[in-house]
Amino acid sequence: MNTPTAGQRRQPGPGRPEGSGQGLAGLLARVARGDHAAFEAVYDQLAGPVYGIVRKVLRDPAQSEEVAQEVMLEIWRTASRFDPSRGGAASWALTIAHRRAVDRVRAETAAAERARKLAPGPVAGDDVAELVETALDRQRVRRCLGALTALQAEAVKLAYYGGYTYPQVAELLGIALGTVKTRIRDGLIRMRDCLEVPW
Amino acid sequence: MTAMDHDLHLLTGAYALDALDGIERARFERHLARCGSCREEVRGLRETAALLANATAITPPPEMRQRVLAATAQIRQLPPPGHAAPVLGVYQAARRRLGSARPAVMIAVTAVAAVIVALLVLQVTTVRQLHSAQARSQAIAAVLSAPDARIQTTSTRVGGTVTAVVSPGHQEAVVTTAGMPALPGGRVYQLWVMSKGGARSAGLLLASDEPALASGFGAADQLGITIEPAGGTTRPTTAPIVVIPARA
Repeated sequence: MNTPTAGQRRQPGPGRPEGSGQGLAGLLARVARGDHAAFEAVYDQLAGPVYGIVRKVLRDPAQSEEVAQEVMLEIWRTASRFDPSRGGAASWALTIAHRRAVDRVRAETAAAERARKLAPGPVAGDDVAELVETALDRQRVRRCLGALTALQAEAVKLAYYGGYTYPQVAELLGIALGTVKTRIRDGLIRMRDCLEVPW
Repeated sequence: MTAMDHDLHLLTGAYALDALDGIERARFERHLARCGSCREEVRGLRETAALLANATAITPPPEMRQRVLAATAQIRQLPPPGHAAPVLGVYQAARRRLGSARPAVMIAVTAVAAVIVALLVLQVTTVRQLHSAQARSQAIAAVLSAPDARIQTTSTRVGGTVTAVVSPGHQEAVVTTAGMPALPGGRVYQLWVMSKGGARSAGLLLASDEPALASGFGAADQLGITIEPAGGTTRPTTAPIVVIPARA
């Protein structure tokens, strides 16, 4: 018969070191201490969304891979700067990713189009789903985007997925600068509430 | 709340989506430093943006994993931001605000990006150039990513601008130029570290997209650029066309 012995019983023992959990925030704390195994786990959790958003903005696969790689290494390098009291670990990483992607777009656009007034071709409104594979997230995001006014949804998509600045969005949509600012903000606030973001 | 503050507050959404250009982004970040409710709002909107990003997740090319994991062995990580972490301000006016009102963490997180953005705005090709010049770029990257790095842009007497990213901690500065006129007769722009003891050459500024690295750049020193004969000289023979102090 299996009688639990003292040895098998769970010992209260010393607490686990802080940040040893498998959650992303805990993993990042270990990465900050140079833990390569933790970084592998971080990579496996974040590489998909990082590559996804970079590719969404940049389109070009080779360039996207290069930027996504830089982002993952940036996460390795700056893990000590992640502060859980300021936001989630995934959003910290994805902020780096998105910003890198738009910086790349703008550097290139600036070089190529400085001379003429900037008017990039419009992106198709409904290709949001095109690259998306995370079905559940995609579905939620789609549903919530669908709950926005057409103008709000278009403005948010052009800004985030298109990587356009809000003056460019205004130009693409043919609306005033002030209008686009509020549409983006209102739209995003509605998305936040719809997606039940806990912040 | 002034009308302008109100106007800035409306940019929380565009900021969270990275839809501001470099200059407006810096201006808004200055506003963020003194607007708690904006910070709260930005935080929630950032989390929302992350969900938008999550929805685009796709499997990256498998070989990327090996490359990234292998590369970590050669990349030194940033230390945690100490309580006395030096202040980083990308734009001069932002410096004091950022330093006094925002804990070092947030600043540090944005530091690398902000410095790179500022460079991109001012000098598009610099960063790409950094990628190709692998050996030297490590030293340069160390300056650009230093938590205490500051960037300043100054016009020169002959036209064009000089941008210096200065890290007091590293005692180094990365210098790039933009729009400076080509010199006749093979003459060159030469960079100097000027201290009380005299001027020491920090190399020639041959191409505008090639950053120069000035080492041993102390807190009391200045950077200067002079026009010199082809090949450069051991000490300056003309008056500097621009002087940049280590502390602005």
